[in-house]
Amino acid sequence: MATTAAAQFQSDEKPTSVLSATTLIGPATVFVVAGLLLPLAILFRYSFDKVDARRIMIDTFSFDNYVKFFSDPYYTGVLATTLRVAALCTVICLAMGLPLAYVLARTQSRYKNVLIMLVVLPLFVGNAVRAAGWMTLFGSKGFLNVTLMQIGIITQPLQIMFTEGAVIAGIIAVNLPYMVLTLSSVIEGINRNVEEAAFSLGAGPATMFRRVLLPLSLPGILAGTILTFILGMNAYATPVLLGGPKFKMMAPLVYGQFQLNNWPFGASVAFVLMTATLGLTAAANILIQRRFRR
Amino acid sequence: MTVVPRWTSSRVVGRMALGTAAGVSLAYILLPMFFVIWLAFFAQEIPSFPPEGYSLKWFRAVPGNDRFVKGFFLSLQVAVLATSIGLAIGVPAAVCLVRGRFAGREAVNNLLLLPLIVPGIVLGIALYVFHVETEIVTGWPILGSLGGLVAGHVLIAIPWTVRLITASLVGMDRAVEEAAQSLGADRLTTFRRITLPGILPGIVAAALFGFIASFGNLEMSLFLVGPGRTTLPIAILQYLEWKIDPTIAAVSVLQILFIGGAMLLTDRFVKIGRVV
Repeated sequence: MATTAAAQFQSDEKPTSVLSATTLIGPATVFVVAGLLLPLAILFRYSFDKVDARRIMIDTFSFDNYVKFFSDPYYTGVLATTLRVAALCTVICLAMGLPLAYVLARTQSRYKNVLIMLVVLPLFVGNAVRAAGWMTLFGSKGFLNVTLMQIGIITQPLQIMFTEGAVIAGIIAVNLPYMVLTLSSVIEGINRNVEEAAFSLGAGPATMFRRVLLPLSLPGILAGTILTFILGMNAYATPVLLGGPKFKMMAPLVYGQFQLNNWPFGASVAFVLMTATLGLTAAANILIQRRFRR
Repeated sequence: MTVVPRWTSSRVVGRMALGTAAGVSLAYILLPMFFVIWLAFFAQEIPSFPPEGYSLKWFRAVPGNDRFVKGFFLSLQVAVLATSIGLAIGVPAAVCLVRGRFAGREAVNNLLLLPLIVPGIVLGIALYVFHVETEIVTGWPILGSLGGLVAGHVLIAIPWTVRLITASLVGMDRAVEEAAQSLGADRLTTFRRITLPGILPGIVAAALFGFIASFGNLEMSLFLVGPGRTTLPIAILQYLEWKIDPTIAAVSVLQILFIGGAMLLTDRFVKIGRVV
């Protein structure tokens, strides 16, 4: 007890007793450790196992699943598609998100909260419901094809459904609210007078944006970009519904491997996905921060 | 001192461009929902444009559709249970995280927010293999059970609870609690009479956000549902993999109304813009 007592006085406030802290925070912590970390650890162990036609799984320790993934052009192709789609969606979301985020952050309108709710509602409604909207729009007799034919741009309906373009269009709509909310919360924290100062010193809107708003909102841009990229990498419902059975991204691939009862390989694909996502975001984080400091 | 705005013509053009771009982005976000709602009122079954007429018959047919009705009630049941458990263990944890002083506070905070960061698909298969292993070791039938599904959804409710309660506790003046204690209230009384009423909006917000997040969850639930036990978002996904028609659009509209209603209710207690 003597050592803990000594440690206690290092803080200026009275520390919480170990007993009460444990009773308060213990259940939630135990739940997350047992319900999240432990399952992830088991899944990681699975990814080194082998699959067998008769027994489903053989306990072993090999990197075969990872070797299989990276030596087969089909799987590396799926990873490449996923990276490409996620990167493209992230760039477009950033370009589309900035103006809306700025308006949301700076508006004095009494309908500001309504605007925010309009951005948030689609988030909670779910990806499947929104994919249904795109399906109505993109079908061969859908709104887009019919409209284009009526104004005479095309004579034959375009194949939009089950293309990469449809998936990208869908994921942008799914991820855009996250980007907008992240950016607008950061822009709201930037003092408006800084912008006015730039204008009064003769800067045009473009210069003000480039020299003042952009550097100041960089943390938000970074956070929003990372969040959008992670969501794009892990998209499931949108590629399944708008990409169809032939278009494959990583998350549907993981699900498919589990459907085929190849758990070890599915587990390794899951960890390739997580590692690629987290690794790239960490790299982007370091790169941007280093460049920004200079 | 405020700076007097200088209105040059480039600023006016800039403002108009900004407003247009913002409008386009907002319209793009809402576009798919607009088309789902439109389709739900089509008279014909095939989603072809222009519609041949309008009808409410698809909405009238929804209560008779067993798959969606059962899915709705399962989603409701799971969301209510998961949110209640999430609050019961999340609120004390958040109070302890903000008011307590102990080593590893930051680490525990990050741990409790982790379920929001792990991809839904990975979370789902991790829980699936965990259920399989637990079933092998203990013999309890967890796989595909209601309990397993609820436990998974509690994982989603915890981070929302911790995040929202933490935010509302940080915004509360600690001096009020200290005043209560110096007037002779013990810790429990202080919590019950001062802290709890103070964070009540946060608790309501946490309950509703946890509920909405659980109700709409798709990826993780895919692995946790059992035969004959399907949540509403999964029922919608499975139907859409097969076809798109006004029936599913009508179901989607009801889901939009339900979620929208929950959000409006939340907004009465805590401004949505401050918590998302």
